[in-house]
Amino acid sequence: MLKAFGYFVELLRGIWITTRHFNVNMWFHTLNLFGIKTKRKGAVTIQYPEQKKDLASRHRSLHRLMKRDDGKPRCVACLLCVTVCPSECIVIEAAEDPDPEIQKYPSTFVIDLNRCCFCGFCVEACPEDALRMDTAKIDLAQTSHDALIFGLDKLLK
Amino acid sequence: MTDLGIVLIKIILALVWFLVLTLYLTWAERKESAVLQDRIGANRASIFGLRLFGLFQPFADAIKMIFKEDFVPAFSRKFLHTLAPFLSFFFVAITISAIPFGDDIRVAGKTISLQIFDADIGLLFVLAMLSLGIYGILLSGWASNNRFALLGSVRGAAQLISYEVALGLSLVGLIMVYPSLRLSDIVRAQGSLLFGFLPAWGVFLQPVGFILFLFAAIAETKRVPFDLPEGESEIIGFFTEYGGLKWGLFMMTDFMEILIVSTLLTTLFFGGWQVPWLGAGGFQFPWGGTWHLAPWLVTVFQVAAFNLKVFFFCWFQILIRWTFPRLRYDQLMDLGWKLLVPLSLLNILGTAIVMSF
Amino acid sequence: MVKIFLDGGPVEVVEGTTVFKAAQRAGIAIPHFCYHPAFVPEGSCRLCLVEIEGSPKLELSCSMVVREGMKVSTQSPAVREARRAVLEFILAEHPLDCPICDKAGECKLQDYYQDYGLTESVFREFKEKREKKVRIGDQLILDRERCVLCTRCVRFLAEITKTHELGLFERGIHSEIGGYENEPVRNGYSGNLVDLCPVGAITDTEFRFKTRSWFLTKGESICPLCSRGCNIFIDYHPGFPRVAGSAKVYRIRPRTNEAVNGPWICDHGRYGYVDLQRKNRCEKLIWNKGPGSTTELSWDKALIVIGEKIKALRENGKTGRISLILTTWLTNEELFLIKKIFKDGLGVRNVSFADPAPGTEDGFLLRADRTPNRRGAREMGFEVKPVDLDVLARDSDILFIFGSSLAGGSNDGAWKAALEKVSVKILVTAHLNELASAADFVLPASSVAEKSGTLTNADGRIQRIAAIARACGDIRPEVQILLDLAREIHLDDAYFGALTGPEEVHRELAKDIPFFGARP
Repeated sequence: MLKAFGYFVELLRGIWITTRHFNVNMWFHTLNLFGIKTKRKGAVTIQYPEQKKDLASRHRSLHRLMKRDDGKPRCVACLLCVTVCPSECIVIEAAEDPDPEIQKYPSTFVIDLNRCCFCGFCVEACPEDALRMDTAKIDLAQTSHDALIFGLDKLLK
Repeated sequence: MTDLGIVLIKIILALVWFLVLTLYLTWAERKESAVLQDRIGANRASIFGLRLFGLFQPFADAIKMIFKEDFVPAFSRKFLHTLAPFLSFFFVAITISAIPFGDDIRVAGKTISLQIFDADIGLLFVLAMLSLGIYGILLSGWASNNRFALLGSVRGAAQLISYEVALGLSLVGLIMVYPSLRLSDIVRAQGSLLFGFLPAWGVFLQPVGFILFLFAAIAETKRVPFDLPEGESEIIGFFTEYGGLKWGLFMMTDFMEILIVSTLLTTLFFGGWQVPWLGAGGFQFPWGGTWHLAPWLVTVFQVAAFNLKVFFFCWFQILIRWTFPRLRYDQLMDLGWKLLVPLSLLNILGTAIVMSF
Repeated sequence: MVKIFLDGGPVEVVEGTTVFKAAQRAGIAIPHFCYHPAFVPEGSCRLCLVEIEGSPKLELSCSMVVREGMKVSTQSPAVREARRAVLEFILAEHPLDCPICDKAGECKLQDYYQDYGLTESVFREFKEKREKKVRIGDQLILDRERCVLCTRCVRFLAEITKTHELGLFERGIHSEIGGYENEPVRNGYSGNLVDLCPVGAITDTEFRFKTRSWFLTKGESICPLCSRGCNIFIDYHPGFPRVAGSAKVYRIRPRTNEAVNGPWICDHGRYGYVDLQRKNRCEKLIWNKGPGSTTELSWDKALIVIGEKIKALRENGKTGRISLILTTWLTNEELFLIKKIFKDGLGVRNVSFADPAPGTEDGFLLRADRTPNRRGAREMGFEVKPVDLDVLARDSDILFIFGSSLAGGSNDGAWKAALEKVSVKILVTAHLNELASAADFVLPASSVAEKSGTLTNADGRIQRIAAIARACGDIRPEVQILLDLAREIHLDDAYFGALTGPEEVHRELAKDIPFFGARP
């Protein structure tokens, strides 16, 4: 019975905590509504599409392929990203470049974002710094699977 | 205007009150939980860009639920599967008929009670209807032909029956104090004063009974500290195989139960429509002052007081739901049978001893 | 016998052995580029240096002959330091092409750098610019920057093919491999240069840039493109699950077997094999019901339909009107099953063979007979005779054709007229050609890389092939097709029911025919 009473006290303490939160937040919500004390918000919510949080410098967003000075992709189709990709979402077909200094370039380079898990291993693996995930694009949702298959044209943009 | 017409109007008004509040209880739940968790809560539903703190959210939800596919699993018992949510809904909705919203009013020479159905066994009627709600749960679990749904409904039945006992016993003391089962009588009895200043509310006469009733009643609503029948994170619950409007009915039943429990708490323990020191003619303060009011104003005060008390208990129940974690099943049964029931019996004994002097 | 001490441990070898070979026998690996067991040691890469007690300086193990009581150290600090220095000099001119180099992953220079180098370069000079894409043969491209001048290619062309197309030109830092008068390497064994090259200097246009070596799984098999039966590795890409057609055989490489092919294979096999695996594959089970009416069948349905037709003939006692056209591409196990089912079981007499036309022999590895198992068919008791189209047209109601070599032979088009006289033609083939449209049923069979079994080469050597590539579509191995057919027509259920795969069939074969029992 004493133990039950102890529980009861803890229940009351719990209710006290939530009630305090409710009252404090409600108080500031109300004040803010009348334009008072607007620096202190009633909630920590960020209203996403309107307000955007700064992305961390290491944040991994949509991939992009880097270009050489002459606009060709920097990628040499070494397939290391394909090797390291845990979700097997990269497909590259290599072709012979007429320039013997480049030799190998990707004739197709497809990242299937339907499968991509944004681990960034491909970026780590790339020996040419040809692939980066720093576009800060995070709203990638599409209405069809095909629209999420990114080829050379989209990745080089 | 005939008596039948009056009753019809009362039924319609009561149902509108009940359903609109239920609808907005969903909004209140989302908003309150958000505020006490430092969030904002649903605020996106809008009409022509007008958001109004998400006040249109319940309508958006309702429209969504109405237009969702009414999916009935191929392996279910179709008729019972469809019947179950309606049973649940019906038995909760009908209890509102016994709740008094205010004192009798006199209009055009007629005395109209602000209560649909003032039965002399009003309290038993309410308890009986709440118990019958179990059928909805049992049927839904059984008819879904899904082991998780069945598990949920069996849990639900066991829980509701267990707490029914505590619920009933916790009220016995109250019935002894206000020797009546008629809810309007109980409310009227709470209008008198104790020691000349304290309103004779149930909570002051039966403090232990109030706490026991509060526990048992929250358990009856099957919400979070006692949400074993649903158990979202473990078995999904008796409505696993429901979707769309039928699932919506179950959810509405849940919120209606909150409302019913609030009205019961108000009616039984917090004086119902009684405002402290407000009599038929106006306020008569214990320190000697008086404030005369017109009869219609008195009624407005009473109905407003009733609503305010109900809102408070709704708020309080939502607070509890967002404060405590779920009980384990054995803890639930222990609480019901080993704590609430013996305490209720002790409470009856204590009340009897006090009253015999 | 001479006793020497390698890293302290005694090793006994025949007199005249080199230290390198002695170490190899003792299981000690000594890094090397220019040494190759098939050639006379040259000692140009200077990587196989070892320390010999009593010798004032480090010695080349590849050309040092053992002496009694010689004490050799292959891992002493001086040796390791010397190797590191040699590697540093090689790497001073070696480009960092690893990401685009086809050799990456199986490159010796990469391995040795891992073992001995791992140093920062101390050279401040730029690396010498050289030609990166010199076509030295029909399928060969030389990258002079990557070349470490081990001269294995030069020695292969001088000692093995004796065609001398390549040589080492210029001196010092300008040394380079090149052809005389820029004549291309064209000798039927040029593909071996790619395997010989310890780095990625010589690459193969058929494989160049197609995939990376670490995606490939290698399986041991036998080249089926002539009756020599060269031992090969099949490099197979198991494919990416979401990319259709990514699973395929990328190349074959020689597997050393001194008794058959040494460490070489010919270009006919090397390039023919990949085409064999990839081109014109038959993947769907097709039933040509009538002119212009073609349906795809399931195997179950097809076996029932074919089985019904055979059963109908059997009930009338006319199984002699079943004819067979076989090919010596079939494995011993398949031939044995055909013998058991058709010759012994159904009493089929009319058996003939349709094979690709023989080519010319080149005096080294390639044989004139361009099929892998003619000897096996003979030993089995088949009379390997060409198809007699007149007999075929006269005496057949059901004709089983294995392989697609009937079309495209010397009888140009005559087979069409003959086939039209046969009412039911069943083609079991891995490849599609015009024969498929003439057949009633086309059953897709597995290619050499997709089935297991044994082949008998011209010398009577029975060698095993293994199922390395995964078959796609409806393709099934012939052994399974034949066993299913035998079960369908209920031909000796006890005997065929016990056989489940090529291994069991081979066991039966070994019991039945002593020739196959004597050998593994």
